[in-house]
Amino acid sequence: MEVIFQMGVSGALMGLVYALIAYGFQLTFSTSKSINFGQGELVMVSAFISLTLLNLGLPYWLMVPCGLLCGALLGLVVERLAVRLALEQKSEGWILMSIIIGLFAYSAAENIWGRDDHPFPTPISSEPMHFSGISITPVELSVAIGVLSVMGLIELFKRKTLWGKAFEAVSADRDAAELMGISARRTIMLSYGLSGLVAAMAGILISPITTVGPTMASALILKAFAVAVVAGLDSGFGVVVVGLFLGALESLASYYIGSGWREAPGLILLILALAMKPNGVFGKASIRKV
Amino acid sequence: MKKTLLAALLFGFATPLFAADAIKLAITGPFTGGSAPMGASMRDGAKLAIGEINAAGGVTVGGKKLKIEIIERDDEAKNDRGALIAQELASMDDLSGVIGSVNTGVVIAGDKHLQEKGITKIITPAAGSASMTQWSKAGVADLSIFRFAAHDGIQSGMVVEEAINRKFTKVAILHDATNYGVSGRDDLLAQIKAQGNKLEVVATEKFNIGDKDMTAQLIKAKTAGAQAILIWGIGPELAAVANGMAKNDLNVPLIGGWTLSMSNYIDNAGKNGNGTLMPQTFIEEAISPKAKSFIEGYHKAYKVDRIPSPVSAAQGYDAVYIFAAAVKQAQSTDTKKIKEALEDLKEPVKGVIATWKHPFSKWNPADVQTHEAFRRENVVMGLVKDGHVVFGNEADKQRLTKQEK
Repeated sequence: MEVIFQMGVSGALMGLVYALIAYGFQLTFSTSKSINFGQGELVMVSAFISLTLLNLGLPYWLMVPCGLLCGALLGLVVERLAVRLALEQKSEGWILMSIIIGLFAYSAAENIWGRDDHPFPTPISSEPMHFSGISITPVELSVAIGVLSVMGLIELFKRKTLWGKAFEAVSADRDAAELMGISARRTIMLSYGLSGLVAAMAGILISPITTVGPTMASALILKAFAVAVVAGLDSGFGVVVVGLFLGALESLASYYIGSGWREAPGLILLILALAMKPNGVFGKASIRKV
Repeated sequence: MKKTLLAALLFGFATPLFAADAIKLAITGPFTGGSAPMGASMRDGAKLAIGEINAAGGVTVGGKKLKIEIIERDDEAKNDRGALIAQELASMDDLSGVIGSVNTGVVIAGDKHLQEKGITKIITPAAGSASMTQWSKAGVADLSIFRFAAHDGIQSGMVVEEAINRKFTKVAILHDATNYGVSGRDDLLAQIKAQGNKLEVVATEKFNIGDKDMTAQLIKAKTAGAQAILIWGIGPELAAVANGMAKNDLNVPLIGGWTLSMSNYIDNAGKNGNGTLMPQTFIEEAISPKAKSFIEGYHKAYKVDRIPSPVSAAQGYDAVYIFAAAVKQAQSTDTKKIKEALEDLKEPVKGVIATWKHPFSKWNPADVQTHEAFRRENVVMGLVKDGHVVFGNEADKQRLTKQEK
């Protein structure tokens, strides 16, 4: 019994990272109906930048805001280069453009930082703590706290501030919002900036566990995508639930079915969700006016 | 008259045509990526030896001192790259030989092209058993591929022996899903049987390249009551296992292949790596003047205070000296003649790992050992201690120190 809990808890904590990256997809999808297919590379590049800042001697608490800022700036770059023009032309060009920027970022990272995995130092201990037979490391807890607090803060921002309300308005109805004098372009920029920030946060949180390397996010991103699709691309609460569930499921599958089958249940879940609830388990049914 | 004219013509034209002005030696291996500590250290160790040989004027061939010229190729540990590089090398007419390779898959994809053209290759620092057994299985009568690495049979034998010596009875086997990991698992199981079935394997688990979360595999080993984990994989995943063991309170020794001495294992595992045991062909300790000058030479030439993979560097270094000895004995830069000389080296070669007396012999498809240089006595148990690999057993250290004297 203890084993089930241990496996479930470890997996669920990892699942929260999928949820955070999936949340990054949601942020941009809600305002612009576009997502950054290079989000994984954004996670990876931000992690590398943060590691470089640490190696330059910046203390950890100062590195975190600087890393987040870099992530936000990178998000804005993606918006400017890949998304804006495509959206103005009402084309789907952003799909290919964001993939291209991702590939470019990957090659750049390989050339700047090399292909090796680097350890990411953190002041948070990785000595396990015990809660009635289940061991959890403070690093894992920091991931959970970090993910939930970033998502909480962004949700608060969306609900309580003027900018946030503009964000919600554009998500609800872009044309109506523009008629009310809200600049949709700025709101989309904001959403990409926030999405980049979320990616950087994911990078900083996960790096002490996974180490930093050019391929660090390639497995994460697929699962984050599955989480976003299963949860629905407009439910912040949904990604947390689905992320936790998928993480725990993976972990239990690799224990009970075999480590080679780790990914299988997640993929089956994705197929089921696409077949039965194409808008996501927590998504709203879309009504398209003809 | 006619004859002398012919001879003069032949002599006059032939000599400049056939006499090369350098010995072309290719060095291949993964110089980037997860296996890079092995590939790059091997390359750097080999270059150190080549630098020494060239600084002394080169190798005397036919009364002329020839320098060694390096052709360097990065196979990125990718099988398709390895095949392309081998094809390129096989198409060179004046290539004397090849040194290198780490990954079994790369060797299997590439070496057939070299063997086809009869190009002499010394596999070092690694590659699994399949890299040699493929030739004995095919019954090749004349082989130009040699291996200069502690083969998996020696290594797995030592790993099992160590577990038995430490009075363990229950072990778990963990391995990666690559050719290397799977053949390592089979070797371990075969050795456990061969050494009298004293170990009970309570769990056999695998993991993929790039996996970071090993909780499932480790919990299985833990609940099954494993007293030691025998492991076959490479650096980054091995580190994930060591870190996962610390997290899941699995405080048992990790014993496995020599890849546990790679810097990307030692660095990423940090203090969780302490106590790990693995077979080593070379320990970075100055136990002899030769070892001291090699270690200091490496540190100075590459501005490091620790060789990323000491085993690879030392093997690369010794392989070059053995190759140079073969060139000297063959008195030729022709790769086929060098191969014949390698199969019957008359003079012992003084290397940093050992003094190599007749390391290889004429290829016999029924006995892979004919093209294998390493024997059990060339290999010792290494132990990770605070970021360095030291001698695991004091007896080994004393034996080697005595040997050198």
